[in-house]
Amino acid sequence: MIEVHVIDVPEFRPMVDTMRGQPAVTITGPVKGYWTISAPDELTFDRRAMKMKPAVWYGIFTGGLNGEIAHWGRDEVRIVGTSRPL
Amino acid sequence: MTEKLGTRDDASSAKSFNEAMGIGTGDLTGVKHAAEDGIRLALHGVDHTARPTWKLNETVEFYRDVLGLPLVHAITARGWGPPGHHDFLHFFFDAGKGATIAFFYYIGSERPEKYAPEEHHFYFATHTAWAVDSEEELVTWKETLEKRGIQVSPYTRHEILESIYFTDPNGYPVEITRRLRDIESIDEVDARLTLQAAMDVESEARAAGRLMEDIDAVWRRKAKLVDAYKEDAQ
Repeated sequence: MIEVHVIDVPEFRPMVDTMRGQPAVTITGPVKGYWTISAPDELTFDRRAMKMKPAVWYGIFTGGLNGEIAHWGRDEVRIVGTSRPL
Repeated sequence: MTEKLGTRDDASSAKSFNEAMGIGTGDLTGVKHAAEDGIRLALHGVDHTARPTWKLNETVEFYRDVLGLPLVHAITARGWGPPGHHDFLHFFFDAGKGATIAFFYYIGSERPEKYAPEEHHFYFATHTAWAVDSEEELVTWKETLEKRGIQVSPYTRHEILESIYFTDPNGYPVEITRRLRDIESIDEVDARLTLQAAMDVESEARAAGRLMEDIDAVWRRKAKLVDAYKEDAQ
């Protein structure tokens, strides 16, 4: 299970907004200021869909990432589950 | 207060450079934390930042005449304190709300090579960032400086700041920035959890005799800390 925690502030909220309604994606929160996006196998974030500036994009997982970055690009990041210790 | 005005030590009583400048060892072993003595020390913003310059004329021209910052104070002195101290000028430009940017010009000295500017992010990490109050002010700064012939960076929107950058004749980086939003309580919580995650990962790396590998390791540890933080809420 992949989990991405998202701080409930304007610059990161598009991560939550663009994940709403996506198949197999669960969104909970905000709990004490954090949203949590979960998915069983993989999650893909689209920078352009989120209208996110590069300086924020490069820190997109600052809220916490239980997962592995399988692909990292300027406009798309794909994460998969990890067996590495948190 | 245990010392009274007029009876305190002053810098001329110092026996060494380290003593005069308050230079410590950097070792925090045995150093008390603020929580232990209960004394809350307060600051009220920046008074000044200071750097050396070996380009006196260009520095004054840039800050006073190009940027238009008022030259508000200047000290001239024979070298004093530790042996070998150069005669010097120390001068201050007003940067708003009581803050100044200051320079030392050490007479008869040449710039040592290690003070030469470098095209490297390590060098650019040390910089001055001045605040403006609005998007209009930031745009006015960028467009006006460009018209005056200064090379200015594109706008960069960070999480809570939008900034432009340029360098002075010494090569020192300057930033002008505006707040995009107020700092919220979640920002402080998040900063605490982020730094806790990073410090934990660094401690473990150090204990294993290696360097921290990547930010992903911090993001994974952060996930664990945020999980625990959220569970506390239930």
